[in-house]
Amino acid sequence: MIQVEGLQKLYGDFPAVQDLSFEVAPGEVLGLVGPNGAGKTTTIRSIAGIIIPTKGRIRIAGHDLSADPVAAKSALAFIPDEPHLFEYLTVEEHLRFVARLYRLGEVGPRIPGLLDELDLSDKRGALPGELSRGMKQKLAIACGLLHEPKALLLDEPLTGLDPVGIRRMKATIMQRAAGGAAVILSSHLLHLVEEICTRVLVMQRGRVVAFGTIPEIVAGRPDLQTRKSLEEVFLALIGEQESTGQ
Amino acid sequence: MIRVFGYLVWRSAYNRIRRQLRHLRSPRYLAALLLGTAYIWFMIVGQRSGPAAGELPDPRVLELVGALALLGAVAWGWVFGVERRVLAFTPAEVTFLFPGPVSRRGLIQFKLLHSQLLILFNALLWTLILSRERFGVSPWLRAISIWVLLTTLSFHRLGASFVRTSLSEHGRLAVRHRIVSLVVLATVLVALVWSILDALPEVAAAAAGGPRSFLSAAAEAAQRPLPTALTYPFRVMVRPLAADSVSQWLAALWPALVLMVLHYVWVVRADTAFEEAAVETSLRRAKALSECRAGSTGRSRLPRTTAPLFRLAPVGWPAGAILWKNLVAVTRTRRVRNAGLTLALAAAVVGVLSFQPGGTLSAIAGWLTLFWAGLTILTGSQYVRNDLRGDLLKLDLLRSYPLRGWSVVIAEAGASTLMLTAVQLSLLGLAYLAFLGNETMVPDLEERTLLLLAAIVFLPGINLLGMLIQNGAALLYPDWVRLGSGRPGGVEALGQNLLMTIAFVALLAVALVVPAAISSGGFLLLRPALDGWAALPATALALGAMAFEAALMVEWLGRIFERTDPTAAGLSF
Repeated sequence: MIQVEGLQKLYGDFPAVQDLSFEVAPGEVLGLVGPNGAGKTTTIRSIAGIIIPTKGRIRIAGHDLSADPVAAKSALAFIPDEPHLFEYLTVEEHLRFVARLYRLGEVGPRIPGLLDELDLSDKRGALPGELSRGMKQKLAIACGLLHEPKALLLDEPLTGLDPVGIRRMKATIMQRAAGGAAVILSSHLLHLVEEICTRVLVMQRGRVVAFGTIPEIVAGRPDLQTRKSLEEVFLALIGEQESTGQ
Repeated sequence: MIRVFGYLVWRSAYNRIRRQLRHLRSPRYLAALLLGTAYIWFMIVGQRSGPAAGELPDPRVLELVGALALLGAVAWGWVFGVERRVLAFTPAEVTFLFPGPVSRRGLIQFKLLHSQLLILFNALLWTLILSRERFGVSPWLRAISIWVLLTTLSFHRLGASFVRTSLSEHGRLAVRHRIVSLVVLATVLVALVWSILDALPEVAAAAAGGPRSFLSAAAEAAQRPLPTALTYPFRVMVRPLAADSVSQWLAALWPALVLMVLHYVWVVRADTAFEEAAVETSLRRAKALSECRAGSTGRSRLPRTTAPLFRLAPVGWPAGAILWKNLVAVTRTRRVRNAGLTLALAAAVVGVLSFQPGGTLSAIAGWLTLFWAGLTILTGSQYVRNDLRGDLLKLDLLRSYPLRGWSVVIAEAGASTLMLTAVQLSLLGLAYLAFLGNETMVPDLEERTLLLLAAIVFLPGINLLGMLIQNGAALLYPDWVRLGSGRPGGVEALGQNLLMTIAFVALLAVALVVPAAISSGGFLLLRPALDGWAALPATALALGAMAFEAALMVEWLGRIFERTDPTAAGLSF
């Protein structure tokens, strides 16, 4: 369960995120969409405990992120769009490193299955410098999934993946959600969001523009009744069509 | 094209400085600037109130010492080729310049122009450091002399590195292309080896009389015809700095300028194969730089996948994983096993040699390793950087881990502390063995053993405090401290590195004042009752005080780590 109440993040006087509140229940996949600079990454990084919100409260699996950051972070995984790996650790050593950080005990028996799921089995002893961009992304995902997080935060997770990798990644996300994880997925790939997200949160200039399932969003706005896909709804919501003169 | 390069260099520098100055709105950065300005001012004023005109160093001695130092720097460049970093293009430079209508020669000229920023800054620093009273010329003339010297040296080391790169990339083809450079190098090498062998008996005999006698004999040997000829170009570079009148300076400057221009021509007017090698190096480095954002340290070669020195236990202190990671990184970037074997072999050899009559060779080895050990105590923490200075580039990742800030800080600083202490103790152990059979030396064997034991007891604490200072600086001023594996290198950056070292040693000394005072007080109080054994509780008191200080620093830095906003600090990628 992820709970966000009154989240605000200011950079100087600039409000990156304002008065943001929502919840993501176990098993749910929330799609976070919005134009560049909408505040999606700031939101997701605040929930991951990377940046400190100016105001607001975040709870991960019942743990207050501010009061008990270790317990809260133990329950979550953050997978950024750019894989951050340690140049001198092999693929397997990355997993063992994460296992120790998250107090998982001996994870040796679990490693082959996870590597197989992400198509990294034959790269077990490779260093990040020997991996392609997509493989690095897969390794970052494997590290995030190793401790079976109750909250999964994904920021553009498909960047750099090949079609097979994208398919596997989608299956992995849905599998984790089916297993009871609360998932937040930030992406510009609206068809992906439409395909796997149970609800959508549309942001613009740090504020919530719409929140709910696509039918709920459409139902709440009579002017959107003719829009069928999330892309059409999204463009209408952020005023793209007006700005292009349509 | 030069105007475009000039625009890029100037605007980049201007905007960078403007960004740095914007930090002054933060009281933390403003305080650091005020302290830094006061420190540099103190250094200048301190120098000017130093020796009077009558105590000026002999220009001939100055010239010789400077020439030998430059010879060492140049030799280092030929052996290690470190100046290739000048050609490390940024990803943006690669994107815009490499596919653009810019010749390879143009690219090299651009980087030379870019390197002038660092050279000019350090020429200014050296001008301030070297007081007028000591060198007898005006600050402006001194600045020009230093600029010429640093630029020539930078060009030379870059040229040397080009030849090395060309040889490694193109093999025999490069030998044909670089035949003139290689013949000159071979001649110099032969002459150098011959000079050393010629002077070795006298110098070795003098070494038995201690370092002063050794240096004096080495200086005398350097006055012979062949060493004089070998050091001539270096003397030409130093001479304007040693001049004590304007006319002397003018007479000394033009040969130095000619040497600089010749070096420029050597570096820029290179053939295609040579340039290709240089550009290939640049591309590799640029790739490594771009990977830095994903966790690389900017090295051009892939690390070796060797088995770690020890495995990470699946259970235990979670932050221990960070400590382990940093130690594994060291074993994969340095040939630790080879170094260990070499050290063991060297220890056995010097240990045996120390019992030989005279023990000259082991004495030279002993003094050299002692010198290096001393140097690592002062500067080691700036070079051993497998800690937050490297990992802050991945602050997003570190902050997402379920760890408290203090545990991250102690694990990061602890890794560097362990590495540095291991290096220092190895060097001290080697020096101890080199003097093992020396019965005439003061301090005697028993005292030397006690000193070694004291080093084993105190160095980890001293190093930990030093590493916390360095990591604290990186955490407090991430935009002003160089992050990543390397610090500004090369002789042209020596000025700023020297100032940083002095500032670091001063801070470390301040941190050690309280433990030293408590320990001394305890010793004086307990000595009447315990006699010499009072040293034991005094040692415990000193260690306790250092541990207390380290704990306070770790707690404080941990809180700063938890509060640092990666985006605001410019550490978010």
